[in-house]
Amino acid sequence: MPDIRIPSTDRGRRAVAPILLAASLICLTVSTRSLEGLPESLGLSIFGFFQRGFSAVGIFVSDSIASITELQRLRDNYRELTAKLERYTNMERGIAELREENKRLKEQLGFSQEIPYQRIAARIVAKDPENLYSTITIDKGFSEGIRKNMPVIALQDGMEGLVGRVIEVGRGTSKIVPLYDSKSFVAARFSGGSRTEGLVGGQGAPDDPLVMRFVKKRMKDEIQFGDLVVTTGYESIYPAEISVGRVKKVRVLDYLTSIDIELDPVLDFSRIEYVFIIRPKTVDSEIDASPGNKNAARPSAGRAKP
Amino acid sequence: MIRSVLLSTALLIACIFAQSTWFGGIAVFGVVPDLSLIVLIWLSYKNGQVEGPISGFLAGLAEDFLSTSPLGFHAFVKTAVAALTAVLHGSFFIDRLLLPILLGIAGTIVKALAVGLLYLIFGSSIHAYSFVDKVLWIEAAYNGILAPAVFLILSPLNRFLVTERGRG
Repeated sequence: MPDIRIPSTDRGRRAVAPILLAASLICLTVSTRSLEGLPESLGLSIFGFFQRGFSAVGIFVSDSIASITELQRLRDNYRELTAKLERYTNMERGIAELREENKRLKEQLGFSQEIPYQRIAARIVAKDPENLYSTITIDKGFSEGIRKNMPVIALQDGMEGLVGRVIEVGRGTSKIVPLYDSKSFVAARFSGGSRTEGLVGGQGAPDDPLVMRFVKKRMKDEIQFGDLVVTTGYESIYPAEISVGRVKKVRVLDYLTSIDIELDPVLDFSRIEYVFIIRPKTVDSEIDASPGNKNAARPSAGRAKP
Repeated sequence: MIRSVLLSTALLIACIFAQSTWFGGIAVFGVVPDLSLIVLIWLSYKNGQVEGPISGFLAGLAEDFLSTSPLGFHAFVKTAVAALTAVLHGSFFIDRLLLPILLGIAGTIVKALAVGLLYLIFGSSIHAYSFVDKVLWIEAAYNGILAPAVFLILSPLNRFLVTERGRG
């Protein structure tokens, strides 16, 4: 046991808080200048382990309660799906023919079949403990091939949308900074028509709309309510054509040369449970090549759109 | 003292884990209560100038690892709140309702001021509360409402979490 001296005088006791405040400021000074990020990564690995335990307990309790109603719902679903299966079986033959035809046409056109991305499925296990930051913690980390700055997407109601990017990677957990964070930015453009570009950022809360800035003022007549905005793919982080949001409102300010556009995110962030981390295949091959990596070669859940 | 600090820190970290994993379901307008702050206020008020700030600092560091905040952010905020609460140590008799509510609300406002101070020093790398935004006031009200119940639950743990000096 180390010999810890307890301050016994009043003066000594009063010195404790200032010393700790100074230590906090030193930590902040180092971390805000992004020095390596090693302490954060190490801390995330340790505390993330316990956080996953807490999450597992919560999930177990809520799942147990939900399973009773789930059973009834599953029975109804089973009947419905059996009927659907019958219909789909009939459709399958036609689809197989179409697929073959599509393959032949693609070959004729010389399109590449190779998609340069893979997805890693992960479950959201925690969010930020407080209200100022917008952390999302997932149950996959370095050992599953997750790396810093990998883009994260999710599927919701049949729509694929951008969630954010990986900001910190621990051994078994990773932290994601979501799109709605006020320090999060992504280069985006309109999906159809004008292909006008801008920079989309969040306002700090999942319920607040995203804001697309630096859109040229002359484009305001071409922008319609409900227009889809997607990533441009210009940055090295986010691949192109991932859905970001739909136009909700256009703000035109006389003193600015550009307009601000409010977007409704395509995803309801409060309902997301699972996400996919997009891993470029170049990273995949680097991981496969790394010595002692047993999990890296594991097949991933599927493929992302290029 | 060491036992009290270790147990207090463990309790605070457990609260932080609970906040990050389970509290999503009880969020009001997307705002979760800061259970660890309420517990820290109780610990600091009961223990005085040493144990509260040390536990706050250690738990704050743990919270920094789990959040996208820069390392030292929560450590500073929690130490500051604990140090200011410890100044009140033994000044009042904590009743069942009024003082816990006031401490819960005041603690949240002190937290916002400490965050504001960091924002002034470190600028845009820090996320700060806006005093005209609903988030701060919902959190303050939520913490105030929860505080009496939390204080009541913590009372039987007095002998584990509070030093002999603190118990008087």
